[in-house]
Amino acid sequence: MKKVFILLALLSLLGVSSVSEAATEFKIELNLPAKSGEYHNPYVAAWIENAQGQSVRTLVLWRDGAKWLKDIRRWWRKVGRKDQNIVDAMTSATRPAGSYQLNFKAVDDQQQPLSAGNYVLRIEIIRENGGRSMTKQLFTLDGESHQFTLAKSYEIAQSLFIIKE
Amino acid sequence: MKIHKLALGAVALLMIGQASAHNRWILPSHFNLSNDKGEWVMVDVTASNETFNVDKPMGADKMKITGPDGKSVRPGSSYRGHRKSVVDIHLEQSGTYQLKMGGDPSYWTSYQLKGDDKKHWLRGVNKLQRQAKLPKGAINAQTIESYANVVTYITLNSPSSDFKTTNKGLEFVPVTHPSDVAQGEKAQFKFIFNGKAQAGVEVEIVREGVRYRNDPNGLKLKSDKKGIVSFTLEQAGRYLLMAEHESEVKNNPQADTVGGQIFLTFEAVLD
Repeated sequence: MKKVFILLALLSLLGVSSVSEAATEFKIELNLPAKSGEYHNPYVAAWIENAQGQSVRTLVLWRDGAKWLKDIRRWWRKVGRKDQNIVDAMTSATRPAGSYQLNFKAVDDQQQPLSAGNYVLRIEIIRENGGRSMTKQLFTLDGESHQFTLAKSYEIAQSLFIIKE
Repeated sequence: MKIHKLALGAVALLMIGQASAHNRWILPSHFNLSNDKGEWVMVDVTASNETFNVDKPMGADKMKITGPDGKSVRPGSSYRGHRKSVVDIHLEQSGTYQLKMGGDPSYWTSYQLKGDDKKHWLRGVNKLQRQAKLPKGAINAQTIESYANVVTYITLNSPSSDFKTTNKGLEFVPVTHPSDVAQGEKAQFKFIFNGKAQAGVEVEIVREGVRYRNDPNGLKLKSDKKGIVSFTLEQAGRYLLMAEHESEVKNNPQADTVGGQIFLTFEAVLD
């Protein structure tokens, strides 16, 4: 009897979480600028930190071998080196300059919905023989849709971050 | 070996006698590395007042390399040049390696002669030995037991923090992990003296590239009651931390005072 109750409770929890997962989405339009001369594809990490500066979700990791992970400085220091599982789970090849449409559910690394509150989206882009960009966008999950324009800097062209409820 | 010890000692003497002698440091090619197959690092060892341009050679044969598991690691190869020594080290385990020189005491006895203000020094002479070594008419004899630690930390993959202290002289204890210092983030380091938290330790932190700016811009701090200094470095880069403390001791038959110095090299990571 008890077991059935727990099972039902679990099912209802799962039901609730899948509803809210569907509710909020992140969209990133990531624009990587073309560069003249010798060009290496950039290493890219995009992740979400909570108000305490702790990462709650790695969204993007475009990388080469492990040797170069350290070059994605902040992501490596705050996230990658502390959690091999995230690194393994995110393996994804680098991409050249261009425009990329990326969609994510608003969930944390454990696939649990992100609660309402303040967060920071960070996009770190580093290119061998090139430069680095550290884009930082504060946002609030408040049940409303939002759109942010991400300013261009050395390794990022003007990009977009959209929260879709 | 003996010559090496004396050379180190001479630097220590100058440090105590006057504030303007040579700093010493260990500068690794990398402070933070990522690789599942191990990594090589190369390390410069030098006595130099220019942070971080090498100046005088300092033998690295006494450098102790301690791996994340607490076991000592043997360097691959080393070379002693006229401006620096270079050591090649292969890091195999994930975690933090401690590279350290010094830690052994050296004794220095100072004295004056009547009618002369100048301080004279006897190196390698402790309090027990000094009576036999002091010249006739020597006054104001003082013996210092001096410990200097030249230290740095290198992390392969995930940092570890099992660093043992000797509880002798002045030692550095991480609060903020030395491989987790970042531009614009508050960091804290702790200092212990003979194993106890030490207030009033004089600390100076200098960013690399001193040759190319007029103001060295050293950040001067003093440890609080808990032995802690707190600071936020606005610029990313490699830094040399120098800490110094001296205090009188009773119950030490070999010295009147114990002094300690630390030269810690670390990087503030780009945010």
